[in-house]
Amino acid sequence: MKNTRDTKSLFELSKPGRRATRLPVCDVPEHEITDLLPPSVLAERPPALPELSEPQVVRHFVNLSTQNMSVDTHFYPLGSCTMKHNPKRNERTAAMPEFAHLHPYQPEESLQGMLRVLYEMQEFLSEISGLPACSLQPAAGAHGELTALWVAAAYFRDQNSIDQHRKVLVPDSAHGTNPASAAMAGFQVVTVKTLQNGAVDMEDFRSKLDDQIAVFMITNPNTVGIFEPSMREIADEVHALGGLIYLDGANMNAILGVTRAGDFGADMQHYNPHKTFSGPHGGGGPGAGPICVAEHLRPCLPAPVVSKRETPGGEEFYLDFGGEKSLGRVRSFFGNVGVLLRAWSYIRTHGPDGLRKVSEHAVLNANYLLSRVKHFLPVPQGDRCMHEFVATVAPLKSEKGVTAMDLAKRLLDYGFHAPTVYFPMTVKEAFMIEPTETESKETLDAFAEVLFRITEEDPELLHEAPHSTAISRPDEVAAARKPVMCYCGP
Amino acid sequence: MPYLYNTPQDVQDMLAAIGAESIDELLDMVPDELKLDRPLDLPAAQGEMELEQTVGKLAAENRHAGDTVSFLGGGSYDHFIPAVVDAIGSRGEFYTSYTPYQAEVAQGNLQAMFEYQTMVTRMTGLEVSNSSLYDGGSAAAEAVLMAIATTRRKGRVVVPESLHPEYRQTIATYVECLGVEVVTVPTPTGVVDPDELRSVLDDQAACVLLQHPNFFGALEDTDTVTAATHEAGALLVAVFDPISLGLLKRPGDWNGGAENNSGADIAVAEGQCLGSPMAYGGPYLGIMACREKLVRRMPGRIVGQTTDRRGTPCYTLTLQTREQHIRREKATSNVCSNQGLFALRASVYLSLLGPEGLKETATLCLQKSRYLAERLADMDRFDLAFSAPTFKEFVIRDHQGKVDELVKQSLAAGFFAGVPLGQFYPELDDCLLVCVTEKRTKAEMDAFVDAIDRMAGSAGATGSLKATAT
Repeated sequence: MKNTRDTKSLFELSKPGRRATRLPVCDVPEHEITDLLPPSVLAERPPALPELSEPQVVRHFVNLSTQNMSVDTHFYPLGSCTMKHNPKRNERTAAMPEFAHLHPYQPEESLQGMLRVLYEMQEFLSEISGLPACSLQPAAGAHGELTALWVAAAYFRDQNSIDQHRKVLVPDSAHGTNPASAAMAGFQVVTVKTLQNGAVDMEDFRSKLDDQIAVFMITNPNTVGIFEPSMREIADEVHALGGLIYLDGANMNAILGVTRAGDFGADMQHYNPHKTFSGPHGGGGPGAGPICVAEHLRPCLPAPVVSKRETPGGEEFYLDFGGEKSLGRVRSFFGNVGVLLRAWSYIRTHGPDGLRKVSEHAVLNANYLLSRVKHFLPVPQGDRCMHEFVATVAPLKSEKGVTAMDLAKRLLDYGFHAPTVYFPMTVKEAFMIEPTETESKETLDAFAEVLFRITEEDPELLHEAPHSTAISRPDEVAAARKPVMCYCGP
Repeated sequence: MPYLYNTPQDVQDMLAAIGAESIDELLDMVPDELKLDRPLDLPAAQGEMELEQTVGKLAAENRHAGDTVSFLGGGSYDHFIPAVVDAIGSRGEFYTSYTPYQAEVAQGNLQAMFEYQTMVTRMTGLEVSNSSLYDGGSAAAEAVLMAIATTRRKGRVVVPESLHPEYRQTIATYVECLGVEVVTVPTPTGVVDPDELRSVLDDQAACVLLQHPNFFGALEDTDTVTAATHEAGALLVAVFDPISLGLLKRPGDWNGGAENNSGADIAVAEGQCLGSPMAYGGPYLGIMACREKLVRRMPGRIVGQTTDRRGTPCYTLTLQTREQHIRREKATSNVCSNQGLFALRASVYLSLLGPEGLKETATLCLQKSRYLAERLADMDRFDLAFSAPTFKEFVIRDHQGKVDELVKQSLAAGFFAGVPLGQFYPELDDCLLVCVTEKRTKAEMDAFVDAIDRMAGSAGATGSLKATAT
């Protein structure tokens, strides 16, 4: 059934003279192009794009789409990515022309509905985090992290203590983006060890904590899915030395309405609306990375934010470009509004009770799956988790030579997307499973049964898995050694 | 709840299997003193039908390019989006998937990104493209970081005032904590003066950014600027408009291109114009291409071609040792995603246009924009602010100095007149940036001119009056 003809590359399908679009006839008096533009800037010919017909383009891309696993088609328990159902309601909201066709430089009076949504979104995110000031500008989670660190830098500059506060502490189980963001923001990165259960090693933490602390970046619940038991102590000790706590909000799906960053000591946090608030992941993006911060950091936020003022006729919304302490701008235009609209729509369809239920069931599903998986794959963190857990394939590897990658690849044959593997690096042969709340007990049971069956299978079968997919185990070493990054034919 | 499965019976069965009394018990991992002891203060839930009404009311408070004739540009453009782009972009198999960590079940995304990268290299004339960054502004900033790392020059980066003001602000943010100075070259004539540029270039300048067509819509002297930049040992970062490449030389070909050991070293662009809606500023598409020798400094995901264990050609993420999940604080960048869906949309858009369609689109922008520029410049009230040739945007100076009023009155008449420049350039507070895409018709432009003509004080819309006035 696979259509190999129409999934040839666009450049192989191309044929000179073929057209898919017809543009309107020029309805204004035309000049010779050479009268309008100097010859030195003109290209001899337009770029060598493929020449195709519309049916060909449609068939090509629709066939390509069928070669993907997605949330719409498969269980996708990719730990730390929160691959939950993407409600179609939210897609419709974002696609409305009254939102989709707004230009970023329209007069504010022509944007009041849009600005109201964004203002509400700032308020919603502040309430959910317990941190009163919000910027919707960052374009992705990693961008939000970086922005929060710039907020911290702007704050310490304002306090005239930026030369003292140089260190950013990052647990070894954190996402790689954390240390990468800290380095981009000009800080010195200090790694803090974590224990087998995923908690911060307080002894190591205290040995590395001194008055040079700028920010402690903590993921809570952390990447193995436990709530940091020493959260309060960490926050208190960092604050006592004038440092700030940044919460990596990647795992907010576990704690909506249960606890709030501002209440457990964080001064800043980012959100991943594409995870927590169900925005689709788009094959890699777009996401968004709004941040919320404590009141004393508000002046440092990037500009603009949406503000509200009273008018004789009621109220109006406007862009507030902040003052001198603002760190400036972290991208062009306002933010990833299309993603934020979906998240706003999601929050509005859930309300306070619904959001709490989301987290309750995310935690229930993860614990249920943990209770089944632990019987055949050890879970070093223990019997309980929040929204996700990390099993280890290490015993299976020493016993039969079967790796986490083997299990991951074999799951694909059974119609399940693989969990996240080899992350966090603190767990050997890590197998990180996040089922989310939008999966049924039946699906979780089926997944656990298949996973168990796979652990009993012939190792040789697993080393060569997957068997049912069109391709199996791309040679990544060859790809990196002699990279071919574009089509080289005509 | 709309998206949950668990029935009360399921919950009981699952709790029993876990060995817990209640869901609350599972949440006891959160210490009691840190728990929120009240419901979140958020509006009550609305069902889909109620929400549609709420959204409808908010939507009605917006004017948009579908009901108002738009001459707005400045980095976000009202170009036509063919139906096929929406149809493909709405495929759940594309938009509800994620980064292709398991290549076997992501060949669709991987191939689409490989084709996108190929189209970007062909459009820019550079050898390598990544699979996209957040947007044009952050792509420009990432290019600056690449240039600093490559040249090991940490003194300064050079940006002309004709570069998008928001890109300049973004770059300033990205380099501030690194102690790198941003030197701004004034462009009083609307384009870079190469002598002025040379005067700030020294052996501590990592790169020069050159936007062409620039923020004012004007064409720069790309060859001379590229040559001057390379003479100083700095990298040239081109900021381009993808649509303009239907007519204009590719950044990689500037100053004789690779054959002359020149051309842009890195090229970045805002890719929104390639089939994505304006959406009040995002999400957009950051395009980035570079010379092959720079690839290991390039941020973002890159897709490569390889073979699988059976020898079948296939695609996979490659050169990952640059990236944060392996290199952590030593990574080239913290970027861990791409704008996959919008890169896909750009691929579909460019596949539909092909070389001739891109050329025709660019030509329509050029001709129509010239028509409106001439009509406005014919009015007593306006002159073109700059004399350099332009592509699809141009700057008019309002001799009455009432740009804000012009914008307001135009809106009342059904037009988005343009972008007032005073917000970015105090000395241009009597200027308006006007954009004309292929979507605008002669009738719309004539109606716009007539509407301005009817505004108080705009009398004298005809060429003959202009001639006597000047």
